[in-house]
Amino acid sequence: MLYTCLLPACQSEQHLGQYYTVPPSHFHTVFPHGLPPRYQQQVKTFNEGCVMVRQPALELISHLKRADYSKPTLRYLLYGVKGSGKTMSLCHTVHYCSTQGWLVLHIPDAHLWVKNCKELLPSSYHASRFDQPIQASNWLRNFRTTNEHFLSKIKLRQRYVWTKRESTEEGRPLGELVDMGVSRVKSSSDVVGAVLKELRLQAGGTEGGFRLAVAVDGVNGLWGRTTLKKEDKSPVAPEELTLVHNLRKMINNDWCGGAVIATLSQTGSLYAPSSAYLPQELLGEEGFDSMDPFVPVPVSLYSEKEFESCYLYYLDRHWLQHPHSQTEEGKKELIFLSNRNPSVLERLCAFL
Amino acid sequence: MASTSGLRTTLSKMAASLTGLLKPWTPRVLLVRWSRYNPYYLEPEPRKEVYHIPETELTPEQKEERELKSVRPIKAATNSVTSSVFNDPVLSKFVNMMMKDGDKIIAKGIITQTLENMKRKQVEKYHKAPEGKKAEIECNPYAIFHQALENCKPVIGLASIQKGGKFYQVPIPLTDNRRRFLAMKWMITECRDNKHRRTLMYEKLSQELLAAFSKEGNVVKRKHELHKMAESNRAYAHYRWW
Repeated sequence: MLYTCLLPACQSEQHLGQYYTVPPSHFHTVFPHGLPPRYQQQVKTFNEGCVMVRQPALELISHLKRADYSKPTLRYLLYGVKGSGKTMSLCHTVHYCSTQGWLVLHIPDAHLWVKNCKELLPSSYHASRFDQPIQASNWLRNFRTTNEHFLSKIKLRQRYVWTKRESTEEGRPLGELVDMGVSRVKSSSDVVGAVLKELRLQAGGTEGGFRLAVAVDGVNGLWGRTTLKKEDKSPVAPEELTLVHNLRKMINNDWCGGAVIATLSQTGSLYAPSSAYLPQELLGEEGFDSMDPFVPVPVSLYSEKEFESCYLYYLDRHWLQHPHSQTEEGKKELIFLSNRNPSVLERLCAFL
Repeated sequence: MASTSGLRTTLSKMAASLTGLLKPWTPRVLLVRWSRYNPYYLEPEPRKEVYHIPETELTPEQKEERELKSVRPIKAATNSVTSSVFNDPVLSKFVNMMMKDGDKIIAKGIITQTLENMKRKQVEKYHKAPEGKKAEIECNPYAIFHQALENCKPVIGLASIQKGGKFYQVPIPLTDNRRRFLAMKWMITECRDNKHRRTLMYEKLSQELLAAFSKEGNVVKRKHELHKMAESNRAYAHYRWW
């Protein structure tokens, strides 16, 4: 039993280790930017997107089903060694949330906002902060693709003034705000801040009644150091970036009606040793204090059953082509070389 | 390798007569780059099957060999020999030929990326093809690599032979090793020279290997041109004396 056709809402422990297909119609709407690049290549090659049902994702989904949404938001943190499947579990949960009709705020990698920024504008709203127009407008574009149907339903509760001549009135739909942010690149970071604030205020409301899922990958990037420099070559702290400042407010549990699901990531992180994977090490003191209390969800390497399932999936999709890789000896060698690490196994099977 | 082991046996016979010297010794100055061992040292055995034969099924020669190995020192194995089932000698040779400045990691990385790229293209074609055409598409990158190399190997070569003050291009038969070397060399030089500035080596190499698999592309063209030159110079074939 390798494949199951149930969507995330109906999956349970008996489906552990089985693969379910993400319907092609969902791919471009739910995941314009969340998936790891190698997985995107795999989807293009196999002409379908299959995700394995694993324990951490099922645990998260069961928590989300049973949580009380009138209380302050619960924060879930996925942690594990490099390549153990944290981002994929996050994407599985995001797919569940979007099939249940939640509004999904998916930040694909928080590290992309604290490094390699070509344009750093001083913020118009707050004197000591910096704006990142390119990253903000990209994210707004992807946000618009993900949540099309919500954009016309949510109305703004406050008037926002952008320049002397431009302002967005109260009661206008959120879609207008997002379109303005995408077209006027200079004020896109402030638009992002406004969008986050509106969603936070309206998430738990009884009359609007939508649930908000904030999915952040690489959340440890929000509390470390950045590689960005001001014009006088002094380093920029993460608090001085508008995007990071607003995102930190989102991760605080002072709003209700949703959930925050975060992943730690050493791969894109700055100034963190490569062997670090625990929350304490990667988040640092400041980060840990802000995230505390959270629900930790450990993501482990493949168990024997999961490894079997992955091996059979690759065989089924004609991915393992080397004649020796289809024998018992080749399988033992794959287990030895990859140590059942999902990403290492994927890279090994790529050229075998 | 055959000539050096022949030399070693003659040396060992000479050395055996001077029995005092035939002890395990290491020279005072140890050469690191080349492995020049005392003939007393034995070759290592990387294959796993040899060690899995149980005691009872050994032939007398194998028993004798095992006893010899328990007393004699053994040379260190080079980095390129593995007991892995995925070891391919032709591919290792190709990696060595592609290597620059001894950087095997980069060369091996390029080859693995090439194999992955070829497999991706073929598997994508396979999954999109209708049912009848699926059996014709070859997805195994190793099979494609070997077949492409076979298609690039020249059958006959040319040598420059001097006769009467002038040099003539004479058609000569080639050994298997020389043919394999020429095919690999042509493939690598083609991919290094004739590519767009922005294409990476693995991309160009995968394109050329797939083209050679279906007998198109610049490398098989070069092989055909060599054959044509040899055909046109067949009158000079008698200038060859070996």
